[in-house]
Amino acid sequence: MSPLLEVRNLSVAYGAIEAVRDVSFSVEEGQVVSLIGANGAGKTTTLRTISGLLRPTRGDILFRGEPIHRKAAHEILASGIAHSPEGRRLFGRMTVEENLQLGAYVRDDAAGIEADMRRVYELFPVLGERRHNKAGLFSGGEQQMLAIGRAMMSKPKLLMLDEPSMGLSPIMTQRIFDTIKELQSQGTTILLVEQNALAALALSDRGYVIDLGSTTLEGPGTDLLADQRVRAAYLGEG
Amino acid sequence: MTKTFLSPPIARILGIAGAVLAIVAAMLPWTTFVLNKGAWPDKATLQFFDAPFALTGFRWELFLVGIVALVCSVVKVPAQRRVLRGLGFGVAAIGLVNFLFITAEGGGLGAVTAADGASAFGSVAALVAGGLLILGTFGQPLEEIPRWKTNLPTPVEYLGLLVSFAVLLYVVSLTLTAGGQGGAANPYSGPMFLSFLGFGGGLMAAAAGLGILRWISKLSEKHRAFSIIVLLLCAFLLPFTNAGTEYWMTVAANIGVYAATAIGLNIVVGLAGLLDLGYVAFLGIGAFVAANLSGAAASSLGIHLPFYLVVIISAAIAGIFGAVVGSPTLRVRGDYLAIVTLAFGEIFQIAARNNIGGLTGGSNSIPNIPPLQWFDGTAYNESITLFGTPLPSGVLYYFLIVVLIAAVMAVFANLKNSRMGRAWIAIREDEDAARAMGIKTGKAKILAFLCGAVLAGIAGAVFAHKTSTVGYESFLFMESVTLLAAVILGGMGSIPGAVLGASLLFVLPEKLRAFSDYRLLIFGLALILIMRFRPQGLIPDRHRRAELAGEDAEGHTLAETPGDEPEQPRPQEVPAR
Repeated sequence: MSPLLEVRNLSVAYGAIEAVRDVSFSVEEGQVVSLIGANGAGKTTTLRTISGLLRPTRGDILFRGEPIHRKAAHEILASGIAHSPEGRRLFGRMTVEENLQLGAYVRDDAAGIEADMRRVYELFPVLGERRHNKAGLFSGGEQQMLAIGRAMMSKPKLLMLDEPSMGLSPIMTQRIFDTIKELQSQGTTILLVEQNALAALALSDRGYVIDLGSTTLEGPGTDLLADQRVRAAYLGEG
Repeated sequence: MTKTFLSPPIARILGIAGAVLAIVAAMLPWTTFVLNKGAWPDKATLQFFDAPFALTGFRWELFLVGIVALVCSVVKVPAQRRVLRGLGFGVAAIGLVNFLFITAEGGGLGAVTAADGASAFGSVAALVAGGLLILGTFGQPLEEIPRWKTNLPTPVEYLGLLVSFAVLLYVVSLTLTAGGQGGAANPYSGPMFLSFLGFGGGLMAAAAGLGILRWISKLSEKHRAFSIIVLLLCAFLLPFTNAGTEYWMTVAANIGVYAATAIGLNIVVGLAGLLDLGYVAFLGIGAFVAANLSGAAASSLGIHLPFYLVVIISAAIAGIFGAVVGSPTLRVRGDYLAIVTLAFGEIFQIAARNNIGGLTGGSNSIPNIPPLQWFDGTAYNESITLFGTPLPSGVLYYFLIVVLIAAVMAVFANLKNSRMGRAWIAIREDEDAARAMGIKTGKAKILAFLCGAVLAGIAGAVFAHKTSTVGYESFLFMESVTLLAAVILGGMGSIPGAVLGASLLFVLPEKLRAFSDYRLLIFGLALILIMRFRPQGLIPDRHRRAELAGEDAEGHTLAETPGDEPEQPRPQEVPAR
C-alpha cells in the first residue's frame, strides 16, 4: 500500500534563498509523524508547500498516490489535507462558531458540518461553552484548541499541525498532545511540526529530523528519542 | 472609572443649580445689540420679560433641555448621572455655539456680556449651566447603562418600534430643516443648525444613557422585517413633513446617491478590507455612461435608451472597470493597493477633464440630460400631488433614490451573509489564514471590487438624471475621501452606519455653508473627535462593536476573562484598517 502522503526530494526557495533542500519523508495512514528540527530548518516551509500556499522548485508531493504540488490551496484542502498554521492564525474578531464555519468553507453539506461542529465541542468542551465569544479573547491553549478544531472542520484525512505547543504552559502542552493522540485513535492521520522534540517524538509513530533544509535522520519516534545525535542537538544533552 | 472628588450631596446641588441656570439662560437676552448682518434669531435681543411665552428656536430648545435636566436631577431616574451628563453637554454646546458666533459677529465679548448699558448673559449662563450639570455627575462613578426587557408581547414591541421610528422621522425632518435654508436672507442658519445639533445630541446622549437606544436597536434586530418596512415607510413620509420643499428634497436625494455609493464602497473596504482611494471614479463611470445613453444633446453618441437599460449598461461597464482595478489586488496589498486605486481615481478624473473619446464633455461637462419620466409622462423633476398633498418638484427623484438605497441595502445584506461575504470578512481579518481555509482569495478580492463598482455604477446612472449635468468636477479625490470617511465614520461593514455616515458627511457641509472659511476646519475637527471617542463608528457592525467596545457578539459587556495561560499575552485589540 502506498503511503497517504509522500514527499520526494522536495526543494522550496524564497527567491534565491533555498529554504528546503531535498526533503523526503512519508506518512502512512493512521500514523502520527513528526518533523523536528531547529529554528529555520524549513519545517514550516515544508508544511506550507504541502498545503499549496507555496510552490516547490523541485520534487514531488503525492497524496494518496496523486501528485498535488501543482494544485491550488483550496483544491488540496478539498482533497483532504488540513493545515493548522504556525501561530494559530485564528480570526480573532470572529466567534468560535464563525471560526469553525470558516474551517468548513470548502464543504457544503450543512448537516455534516453541524455534526462535525458538535464533535469539536465534545472534544473541547470549553469551546462549546463559549461558542459565541470572540476567538481573540481566549487563552493561548484555548486558541490552540480552536485552531485544531477549525482544521478538523474540513474533515481531513491528513491533519498538519504547525507548532501546536508554541507559547503554551507545560500543562496545556500536555493537553494538546493528549488531543493529538485522541484524534489519531479516531482515525485521523497527523503530520506534526514541533520544536518540542521530546514530547513530539514520544507520541510519534515516526519522526524525521530536518536540518538546514534537508532530512538528516529518520526512524520510529522512540528510536529517534534514544538517538545520541538527536539528544545532543534537540534535547540539550551533550 | 471616574474619580469622585465631589461629595454626592454637593454634586447633586450643582446639578440642580445647573438645570435651573439652563432654564434661566433661555429667558435671558443673548446679545447686547443688533448685529451687522441682522438681529440674532429667536428674539434673542429682546428681554424675556417683555414676552414670556415667546420662546422659540434655540432658546426653546435650551428651555426644554433645562426642564428635562431639572426633572431628572430631582426625581430618581435610572442612570441619572449618565442622563444629566448628556444633557449637560447639550446645554454647554448650545451655549458655546451662540457664545462664539455672537462674539465673532458682534466684534468682541461685549456682544455677549454687557455693552452700551445693555446686558446679555444668556450664552454665558448656558455655558456655566452646562458646566455645572457635567460637574454634578462627578459626585459618584457613572452607572451601568440600564437594560430594558426585550421579551414583551409582540404588539407592544411593534408599538415601541413604530413610535421610535416616528420620532426618528420627526428628528430627520427637524435636522434637515433646522436653521432653515442658508443664504443672504438667513445669515445665521449655520449657528442655528449647530445649536439644534447640540440640543438633539444632548437628548440623544440622555436617551443612550437611559438605555433606550440600545433597547430600540435590540428590538429592531429582533423584528428585522417589520423595522425595515417601517423605516421605508418613514422614508416615503419625509416629503410630507416640513422637509418637503424642493430644496430639502434635492439635498436629501443627493445624500441618497452618496449613501448608496457608500454602501458599495463598504463592500470593498468594510467587508473585504481593501482600501480604495479612487472609488468615486465608479460613480463617475456610471454617470458618464448614463449621460451618453440618455439622449443628452451634448453627448456625441446620440443614443437614447430606456432608463432600465441605461442602468444595466452603466452597472456593467462600471463593474468591468471594477474588475480591472481590482486585479492588482492579486499582487499588491495594503498601502500599495491604496496607491494603485488612488492612481486609478486620478486617471479617471484627468481623462474625464480632457474629454476622452468625446464622451465626458471635458470642462463643459454634459448638460441637459433629460429627466426621467414616470409611466404617465410626468417628468421626475415636476411637482406632483399625492394623497391630496402637493409635493415639491424633485420628490420623485427622492422616492427613486429611497428605492435605490433599499435595493442596495438588500444586495449588501445578502452578500454579507453569503458564503462570499464570510470569505471577504475572513480575508479582511487574515488573508493568509483565509487561504489556508480554502478560500480563493484572488477571485474573492476581484469580486469585491466588481460588486462595489456595480453598485456605484447604478448610483451613478441615477445621479446623472437627477443632476441633469455630469462633469468631472463631481468626481474628484475629495469625494473619494469623503465616501471613505462616511464608511469609517458610520462603522465599517455596517449598512445603517454607511447611510448615517454619508448623511452626516454630505449634510454637514451643506448646513455649515454659513461658516464658509471654517467649515472644513470644523468638519475635520468633528471627524477627529468622533473617531477619538467612538472608534468603532457611529452604528458599528456587530463584529466591530464587539471588537472595539469590549462587548461580545451578543452585546454583553465582557468582564476580564481569566485565562489559564498567564504567560500568553492576549492579542492586542487594534482596529484594522
